[in-house]
Amino acid sequence: MKRPAAIALSLCLSVAPAMATEDVVAGLSQDSVQIQSNYTGTDIVVFGAIEHLEDTGSNDIVVVVRGPDADMTVRQKQWVAGIWINRDQAKLLAMPSYYFIASTRPLDKIASSFTLERYAMGLNNVEPARAISHHDPEPFRQAVVRHKQDDGLYGEMPAGVELQSPTLFRARIPVPATVPRGTYDVEVYLFRDGTVISAQSTPLFIDQAGLELRLYNFAHKKPFSYGVVTVLMASFLGWLSSVFFRRNE
Amino acid sequence: MEIYLPIAEMSVHWLIVLGLGGAIGFLSGLFGVGGGFLLTPLLIFYGVPAEVAVATTASHITASSISGALAQWRRRALDLKMGAVMAAGGLGGSVFGVWLFTVMRRVGQMDLLVSASYVILLGTVGGLMLSESLAALRRSRGGAPPPRRAPHTWMHGLPFKMRFRESRLYISVIPPIVIGIFVGILSAIMGVGGGFVIVPAMIYLLRMPTNVVMGTSLFQIIIVTAATTILQATTNYSVDIMLALFLILGGVIGAQFGVRAGERLRGEQLRLLLALLVLAVALRLLVGLVLKPDDLYTVTTVAR
Repeated sequence: MKRPAAIALSLCLSVAPAMATEDVVAGLSQDSVQIQSNYTGTDIVVFGAIEHLEDTGSNDIVVVVRGPDADMTVRQKQWVAGIWINRDQAKLLAMPSYYFIASTRPLDKIASSFTLERYAMGLNNVEPARAISHHDPEPFRQAVVRHKQDDGLYGEMPAGVELQSPTLFRARIPVPATVPRGTYDVEVYLFRDGTVISAQSTPLFIDQAGLELRLYNFAHKKPFSYGVVTVLMASFLGWLSSVFFRRNE
Repeated sequence: MEIYLPIAEMSVHWLIVLGLGGAIGFLSGLFGVGGGFLLTPLLIFYGVPAEVAVATTASHITASSISGALAQWRRRALDLKMGAVMAAGGLGGSVFGVWLFTVMRRVGQMDLLVSASYVILLGTVGGLMLSESLAALRRSRGGAPPPRRAPHTWMHGLPFKMRFRESRLYISVIPPIVIGIFVGILSAIMGVGGGFVIVPAMIYLLRMPTNVVMGTSLFQIIIVTAATTILQATTNYSVDIMLALFLILGGVIGAQFGVRAGERLRGEQLRLLLALLVLAVALRLLVGLVLKPDDLYTVTTVAR
């Protein structure tokens, strides 16, 4: 699936070099994040430089990190016969499971709402590829954004990109313990007077490692054996405690 | 130190999980119950997804029940034949329950199923226990004799009779199988062992002698919760072995302290306390169903 942002980006890049010589290069503090047993969340540092800086006009950097897409079912509770139960629902197909956007200034100061929408920038513009719903899916989309923000998986950081010099920038993006595994996409955009003149995209791999990965794979690839092992472990600990504490009595 | 739970996909502090297991173990040792009815809601309140909480609690109960059943086995206070008959029904119930669980999860009513089952069952059992223990306390003060058991019931007319030597019973296998099925369903959808249903059913419906009731119910709980764990692992991938490990470690230690604390309290007082605890959990879940939630929307991510 091709996202509108990616199409817009490629269109833009094919035109951009003719209009400006300024360019953005960026890197990540690490290419991959390994979730291990002591993982409590970390920060990814996105850093880079603007090359061939021209003094005229205003430059802005926007960093967007998107997690792998996921299908989400959003349910709305309604009051039925005295209790609150799930009645209405919408399916949002291919919503990013993680979305963080950091910029040098608030987004609405950087570009027009039309441009922001075209590049899917900002929490208002995070859209599913398709929504299956009986009516307006907007409240359901907003619910996802709200829930994800509460979980620390979506966020807007209007001053998240710091310029260390006119050409050097750095942004710190949080990767909390609850992040889904998968391939992330880190996009860095250089804005000049409200238009994108350069962009770069870098992948970031987030995966479980070590024991956690092995347990997760075991549970999903050999679920029956996994269940048996869990029961055996429980039985062994139960037996052990009965032996151990009987001796004490 | 934080530990990462690979199936629940969240970080928890190991002391909190160990402490939770210990507290539930203490209560289960104190009252002689499995404690699943407390553990599942507490895990859900803590943020563990409901399906992981239900499935993982089943394995916790397997461990604590084995510990208890071995002690009863050494005293020969266990009717293996009766336990096997009930477990056969329980396996059927567990299969049905896990299937129901999967269906309800798909249509988005799983939380309602879990909460409503808890409110109805705990409300009923807690209410009955409260009135019974209050009556017992009053009797022990007044000195009136306890009511006599009815000698014969409609159940003695059912076919497929079988002799249960340890229980000194010659009854139809239908009632124990039906009780087993019912408890198997509870185990799958609520993550409980069902001791608080089986024990009264054995005493008041099957009229088993009280000395074999505890061991036999534990035996059947082991079989059913072990089967539920395996079924949940294969059907819903919702058993978290790391969570289970820490809960069990805390649980088996806590249970020993609970047993000792329980020896200082009288039976009626214990039952009164347990009844209040059961009713409190039911009330808390009822409030969750009746009060308007802070956010009307819930989000479930479907794996791609």
